[in-house]
Order: sequence, then C-alpha cells, then structure tokens
Amino acid sequence: MALYDRSSILTSMFISRSIITVRSIIASLPRRLKEIGSQGTVLFLIALGFLLQGCGLVFDAVEMVQPLARDEMSAICSRGQFRVGISVEPFRPFVFPAVFTDEGVRVTGLDVELIREVGDALTTYCGGQKPIVPTLHLTRFRDLFIEMNEGHLDLFVSSVGGNVPGGKPVGLWYSIPYFHNGGIGAMIQKPEVAEKVRAQFQKQAGNLDTLAAIQVGLSGLTVAAQKGRTSHLYAEANLKNIRLLICDSLPAAVETKNPRIDVILSKHSILDYVTKHVWPDWHLLTRNDGTPLILTQEYFSIVTVEEHRRLQWFLNNLLYRLEESGRLEQMRRRWLEEDYAPTRRAATEGLPFEISKVPEHYDLGQCRFATGR
Amino acid sequence: MSKKDILMKSRVCLFMSLSLMFFLAWSSIGWSQAPREEAETTAQHLATLLNVGRLIVERNQTLIDDPRKGDKGFTPEVFEQAVVDEFTRQTHIDLKHLPSHLPSLAKELLPVLLQSSKEVVADVQFVINQRGIGYKNFIPATFGSQAARKFSNRSHVKIKQITLKPRNLKNTPDAYEENVLKRLATQPASNTPITEWIDNEMTLRALTPIYYSQDCLACHGNPKGILDISGYPREGAQEGDLAGAISVQISVNRSR
Repeated sequence: MALYDRSSILTSMFISRSIITVRSIIASLPRRLKEIGSQGTVLFLIALGFLLQGCGLVFDAVEMVQPLARDEMSAICSRGQFRVGISVEPFRPFVFPAVFTDEGVRVTGLDVELIREVGDALTTYCGGQKPIVPTLHLTRFRDLFIEMNEGHLDLFVSSVGGNVPGGKPVGLWYSIPYFHNGGIGAMIQKPEVAEKVRAQFQKQAGNLDTLAAIQVGLSGLTVAAQKGRTSHLYAEANLKNIRLLICDSLPAAVETKNPRIDVILSKHSILDYVTKHVWPDWHLLTRNDGTPLILTQEYFSIVTVEEHRRLQWFLNNLLYRLEESGRLEQMRRRWLEEDYAPTRRAATEGLPFEISKVPEHYDLGQCRFATGR
Repeated sequence: MSKKDILMKSRVCLFMSLSLMFFLAWSSIGWSQAPREEAETTAQHLATLLNVGRLIVERNQTLIDDPRKGDKGFTPEVFEQAVVDEFTRQTHIDLKHLPSHLPSLAKELLPVLLQSSKEVVADVQFVINQRGIGYKNFIPATFGSQAARKFSNRSHVKIKQITLKPRNLKNTPDAYEENVLKRLATQPASNTPITEWIDNEMTLRALTPIYYSQDCLACHGNPKGILDISGYPREGAQEGDLAGAISVQISVNRSR
C-alpha cells in the first residue's frame, strides 16, 4: 500500500512537472517562432505533423503560415509549362496520328492548334517574359480521366463532347464549346443499309423523326462504337434493337472483319474526314436529300478538373474571344474544309510530346459485343 | 687550329644546320599532312555511315508503313546490326571492332554517329509501331536530318543533308555547298566525294553526292507538281538525277 502510494505520488509529480513543461513551451512558442522566422515555423509545424500523423489540422496550420499550394494559374506561370492530355487514338482532323518529321515526332490537328492558342494566351497572362509551352501527354482515351483526376494534367483537349448524357465524369469541368457543329454520325459500307434507313425516312412523309427512323432502320444490324465515347453512350441509350459492338478505337472497328460490321457510329466531323481521306471504302450515312445525317447534336469542350476555377474562367474567356474574333471559325475551316497534307502541317506547326510519356506500344485494340443489353 | 680544321668545322656545322632545317621542315609538312588525310578519310566514312543508315530505312520502308502490323520489330538493335553489316560490306570496316589503321578521328566519331542514328530509331518506335496507320513520314530524309543533327550537336564536326530544292529549309545549302551542288548536277553520276580545304587550309568541306533511286521517285518523280503522300509537290526527278549531298565540315585545328 505504502509502495502504491509512493509510486502514485511519484507519477502525479511527473505528470504535473510535464504539464508545467508543456505549458511553458506553449507560452514561449510565439516568441520562439518569431525568432526563427516563417521558414522555421513551417519546419516546426511539419515536424509536428510527423509526430501527430493523420492530423490534418497541422497541415492546415502550415498552409496558414505559408501557403504550400499556389493556385493553378500561378503554378503554370512558374513552371513555364502547361500539361495537356491528348488522346493517342487518332481523331482526324482533331488529332492526327503522330508522325516523324525533320524536327522529331510531332502531332497536329485542330485540337493541337487550339492548344497552341491556349499557350499563347497563357504566355500573355503570365507576363510575356518567357513562353508558356504546352507539354503534350499522349495517352489512351480511357486513361485521360484518371490522369486528370490524379493531377498529372492541367487540361485535356481531345474532341470531348460536353453535352451528351453520361459523358461527363464526376469531378471534371467542361468549357464552353470550341466546336459547335459536332454530332454523332454514322458510316457504312453496304448500300442496302442506307436504303433501309432512307426507307424509314420516306415512311415518315415529312413528319421527320430521326431517332425513330434510326431505331427501326438499324434494327438487327451490327453497329460498332468506340468504348466510352459519346457514340457508345448514344447507342446504349437509344438503339435497343441493334447488335452493339464495342471497339477500343475507330481504326479497330474499321479493321474488324468478323463479325462483319454494318454501321460505325462516331463523331460526324471525324467520319466526314476519314471517309474522304482515309477509308474510301466507307461512306457517310446521309438523309434522303444527301445532307449529313446527324443522330444527335454534340459540341466539343476543353476539360479541366472541377476545382480549377481560375483556369476555367481563363479558358472560357479565351474561347469566347477566339469565337467572336472569328479565329475559331478560321481554325475549323482550315482543318475541316481545306485540302492539305497533315504530315506537312505536322512538320511546320505540329507539337512535340515526350516519348517517355506515351504508351510503349500503342495497339488499336479489339472489338467485342456489348454485354448486359 | 689550322685553317683547314676551321674550314672543316664550319662545313660540318653548316651540314648539321641544313640537316636540322630539312628535318624540321619535313616533320612540319608531315604533321600538317597527317590531320588533313585523317580528316578527309573521316569525312568520307561519316558520309558513308549516314548514307548506310538512310539505306537501311529505305529497305525497311514497306515494313515501317505497313498499317496492318503493330510492332514492326524494327528496333534500334535490329537497325544497328543492319547498319554494321552494310557498312562492313561497303567499306570492309567493322564498326563493332574498329581497325587500328583507322584514323583516330574516325575511331572517335563513327561510334558517335552510329549511336545518334540508333537513338533516332529508338525515338521513332512509338510512331512506327502504330497499327492502322500507313505512311508515318519516317523516311531516309527525315531519318538523316535527325541523325545528322544529333551527331553535330555532340561533336565539333558538322554533318547535314543538303539539296538545291529543299523541302525542309534546314537542308538549304550554304553558298559553298550550293556552288558544288550546281556543279555536280551537270556532271555524270559519281559516288566520289568532292573535298576541298578552305579558310587557309584549316577547314575541310566534303560533299558526297546522293542520286535518286527508283524508290525515291514515288515522292520525288513525276507527275511534277502533284502532291506526294507527305503533301509536298513532286520534283519531277528521274532515276540517277542528283538528289542532293551529304555535307561534312571538319576544322582541323579543333579536331586535334
């Protein structure tokens, strides 16, 4: 008992002495912090953070003393670079396949020209002392969103639809459109497919209902769409009576021989280009009067992560200015209507990208039937 | 000392002085002759090596542009082996075991050009291994431009491809090169390099002509003016016409 009492007395003495010590340290803390300055304060708080692992308040305290993370625009200015995700899948004429030029490996296209415009505007924003250059990160479309959310990219520009239901993953922000005349179109090889669809339009006798004509006209056919892109979302939502084939890329759909694909859905402007310049065996599906058949309207946006408000306003204001000055229209005409050689444009105005940051061996992938329909 | 002895001594001195002067003059000529020959041989080997690299790319053009195949297997190592074999065939020099009689400058620079060429093929792997894409613009000319640039950045020797009607403005000849190209264009085809020493014999200019082969004419032949696959107007050239040259520039004082 005596022993117990003794030890408890000793324990209480130790505790009270410790409390006094901690109190005196806390009392002298402001004076000591003043002495060692803000740098020292940060180091002290970081050290405290290690001692109190998991205590987010300590890091908040660090941020209050000296903000560690600057806003995204300041970060871009100080880096002298902005990191742009761009799809490795060729979406001509928005992104052409990477080619070799006298200057090295280059990519070009409407999206690439837009990225250059963003770079020029950022250079001005950052004071114009040094150019703010884009660093392109070619990545597979399916990885773009992950790359974005993990903070590896500042923005991405890859003819991304901004208004198709299901097309906006959570946590990402979409700019005002830089390309309005988009929409989902279709390309075919067999004339009988076109006849089948046109027969449906004829039945409507002026009471036009594109969706109804497509739903009946394509029923029973094998229709391919690229996984995760808006044509896939459209087909899943609206075309219940088709055999839907999901492909890793547009070229994979074109290459597939078994099963034989009747219709390929994709962005109309891309299909318009590839049927004229790349795959002449394929033809655009048109209305009875020969005008393009657009299944649904779609516009293309630049994408950033949700939190980057300054960058978002910067991009929206820039796109608005480019639109009102006619520059965007000029770019659209240049890539969609003019006759040109992409390789030559790549050599003169293409952008380089870091070889180490692309998939080692890009495979166009495969097609497989959609499950659970 | 007799008068005869003095005369004898002065003759010996004169003979020794003349011998010394002759020796010094001979060694000085020999000293300046050696680096000149060394530089000329080196320039010729460098031009041959760059041309061999272009040839290996040209031989594999169908494979490189095959849209049905993903991984082409045209790796830097495969390219290097093909270059080594072809260079040995053309020059009897094994790049992997450089012979001792080769000038030291060539021994120093040939591996640098081989490595630069290999790196270009390594850089282009992503492009050439794209499946579904046919023409990728990886052709002898673009390979040559990049390999030459990489090499020139790493050594004091400048090497570049030049032509009178360049598609790439960086291949524009300077005044000296333009004169030589114009002269070559009027002469019968010959693979012998044109070498000349300028700047008080301190700088070697060596131009090895390149002539159009049948394979080149798909892009550079007829119909003249019609755009080729890469978007440039065809030159209307014929087989055997002068396409351009590989220009090598070596400064002797810096090369030693």
